[in-house]
Amino acid sequence: MLLKTIKFKLTLWYVVILAIILSSFSLFLYFTLADSLYTGVDNKIKTMAEIVVSSARSPFGAGTSITDLDQIMTKRFGIRPLGRFIQILDESGRVGDRSTNLRDVQIPISVQTLKAASKGKTTFETVEVMGKYPLRVVTMPVTENEKMVGIVQVGSSLEGVEEALQQLLLILLIAVPVALLITSAGGLFLANKALRPVDEITQIARRIGSGDLSQRIRIKRVNDELGRLASTFNEMIAKLETSFRQVRRFTADASHELKTPLTILRGEVEVGLKKKRGMKEYQRILASNLEEISRMSRIVDDLLTLSRADMGEVSMEREEIELSTLAREVWEDLQILAREKRIQLKFMDDGFTKVEGDPLFLRQLILNLTENSLKYTPSGGKVELKVKGDQEQGEVRIFVSDTGVGIARKDLKRIFDRFFRVDKARTRNTGGTGLGLSICQWIVQAHEGQIAVESTVGKGSTFTVTLPLKD
Amino acid sequence: MRILVVEDEKKVASFIKKGLEEEYYAVDCAYDGEEALFMVEANDYDLVILDIMLPKIDGLEVLEGVRGKGLTLPVLMLTAKDSVEDVVRGLDAGGDDYLTKPFAFAELLARARALLRRKEREPAGEFRVADLALDPVTHKVSRGGKEIDLTAKEYALLEYLMRNVNQVVTRTMISEHVWDYHFDPMTNVIDVYVNHLRKKIDLNSSHRLIHTIRGVGYILREIEEDAA
Repeated sequence: MLLKTIKFKLTLWYVVILAIILSSFSLFLYFTLADSLYTGVDNKIKTMAEIVVSSARSPFGAGTSITDLDQIMTKRFGIRPLGRFIQILDESGRVGDRSTNLRDVQIPISVQTLKAASKGKTTFETVEVMGKYPLRVVTMPVTENEKMVGIVQVGSSLEGVEEALQQLLLILLIAVPVALLITSAGGLFLANKALRPVDEITQIARRIGSGDLSQRIRIKRVNDELGRLASTFNEMIAKLETSFRQVRRFTADASHELKTPLTILRGEVEVGLKKKRGMKEYQRILASNLEEISRMSRIVDDLLTLSRADMGEVSMEREEIELSTLAREVWEDLQILAREKRIQLKFMDDGFTKVEGDPLFLRQLILNLTENSLKYTPSGGKVELKVKGDQEQGEVRIFVSDTGVGIARKDLKRIFDRFFRVDKARTRNTGGTGLGLSICQWIVQAHEGQIAVESTVGKGSTFTVTLPLKD
Repeated sequence: MRILVVEDEKKVASFIKKGLEEEYYAVDCAYDGEEALFMVEANDYDLVILDIMLPKIDGLEVLEGVRGKGLTLPVLMLTAKDSVEDVVRGLDAGGDDYLTKPFAFAELLARARALLRRKEREPAGEFRVADLALDPVTHKVSRGGKEIDLTAKEYALLEYLMRNVNQVVTRTMISEHVWDYHFDPMTNVIDVYVNHLRKKIDLNSSHRLIHTIRGVGYILREIEEDAA
C-alpha cells in the first residue's frame, strides 16, 4: 500500500537521483584529488632528482655526497628535503650513496627500470619498502656523452597523500549516506505535507460516493495547484448537488402528479365495487375514470416531450414560417373555448413575421400560451394574441396578454419550472399538467429566442416571446 | 361516528366520503386548510382524514393548529408524499397515522376503525351489551343470536350508543357524531330514529336496553335498573 503511494514514489525518485549525483560528485572529487596529489608528489621528486643529477654531473660532481646534497638543497631552496629519500647508484645498479633517513633500507630497483634508465629514460614507480605506506620513486639516469654513468633515485613517502585520500573517502562514505538519509526523511515530510490535501480530497470524494453530496473540501491555499484542484472539485460537487436535487424534486413532483389520478382511479373503482350499483352510477365512475386516464396520458406525453428535449432527441424542422398565419390558425381554433368561457379573444398582426423553425412546435408554443391565458382569465375578460415583426431589431415578437388573475412577484421566476403551480388546486381543476410553460420555454430556447413574463396580481399577465426574424 | 375529510382534490374527497358513508359513518368534507380548521373547531369529530398539500393553509399547519387548541381527536394523514422525512414530519406534527396515496380503500377503512378504537381504548372485535352484539367490520347486528336488519342511520346510531354504553348521550351528541354537517338539529329526526331502533332491538325482548332520559337524551344500559 505504502509502496504504491505517490509520496513514496516521489521520495524514492528524489533519493535515487540525489544518490547518483552525490556519488558521482564524490567519485569525481576523490579521483581528481588523488590524481593531483600524486602528480604533485611526482613533480617534487622529479625536480629533486634533476637537481641531484645536475649536481652529480658538475665538475666537482663525482665526489658529491648526500650530506653535501642536503647542503646544496638547503642553499638552493632554503629547505631540507625532509621525507625524501635519495639513493645514488652506479651504472651497474649498485648502491653508491644514500640519504641518511633511509638508514639500512635500500630502495629497490627492478631490471626493467634499470634497462629504461640505461636507455636514458626516467621511470616513476610505487614500491612497498618500509612502514605501512608505499614509496613513490623516480629513477633518473645520469648521462655523460650519451652514456649512462649512474642512476639517481628519489623517493617520497605517500603517507600524506594516502592519509588525505583515506580521510576523504571516510568522510564521503559517511557523509553521503547520512545526507541521503536526511534528504529522504525531508523529502517524505515535504511530499506528505504537499500531498495531504490530496488525501483529504480522496476522503471527501469517498464520502460523496456514499451519497452525501453536501460535503465540501476545506481550501486553505487557494492559489496553488491543489487549491485549484480542490475548488474545481467543489464546484463540480455543487453542480452535481444542484442537478441531483433538481432531478429528485422533478421525480417527486412527477410521481405526485401521477399519484393523484391514480388515487382517484383506484379509490373510485374500489368504492364502486364494494356493492352492486345502478347503471348510472357505473357510468359515472367510468366517465370519471376516463377523465383521469386522459389526464395521466397528458402528463406522460408532456413528460416524454420534456425528457426527449433534455436528451436532445427531438429533431426540430427548419422551415420558413409566416408566424402571423400560424398564430391566426391557433386563434381560430381557440375561439370555441373562448366563447364557452365568455372571454373576448383578439388577434392582431403587424409587419414581417417570417421566422425559421418547426411549425408543429411553434404552433404548440402559441397554443399553450394562449390556452394558459384563457385558463386564468375569468368570464367576461379579455385575451389578446399579437404577432409583431421588428425589422430594425431583426426580431418577431409574440405577445399573449390577459386580464386574468395575475402572478405574484415571488412566483414569477419559478413560473417556467416544471410542475410549478401558483395554486395547485386551481390548475388541476382546469386540467393543466404543470408542464405547459416548461415546454414553451424549451421550444423558445430551441428556436434561439427568449420568453419573458410580466404580471400584476388581479390585473393580468403578458407573456412575450422574441424570435429571430428570417429575412 | 363522524369523520371530517380534508382533501382539495374534489374527486378524492368525493369517493372517500361516499365509501365512508356506505360504512355508516357521518362524513363532512373540507377543501382547504382554512375551512378544515374552522370545521374542526365548530364540530365534534371522531376522526379527521387530512391531506397534507392543501391550498391556503397546508395540512401540517392545520394539524399544528388543531393540536395547539388542545384537541386530541385522532388524525389520519393522507398524502402523496411518501418519503420517510415526510412521514416523520407528519407524525411528529401530531398525526396519529399515515397513509400514502394511492391507497387501498379497505386499508383506509381499517386504519379509520383502528384509530376510532384507540380513541376509546376499546379492544378489537365486536361490541357486546347484554345479548346484543354489533360487528363494526361486517356491520352485522344481532340480539340473542338473531340477526337484526338495520338501515344505515339506525346502525350508526346504535354503534354510537354501544360505544357509549351506560352513559347518557344527549341529542346534541348524537347529532354531532351520527349526522353530518347538513343535519338540522332542530327537527325531531333523532327521536324518530331512536324509536325505529328501539322497535327493532327491544320489541321482541323482555329486557329493554334503550332508555329515554326525559329532557336530556338516551342511554343504552347493560343492566335493567329498577324503576327509579
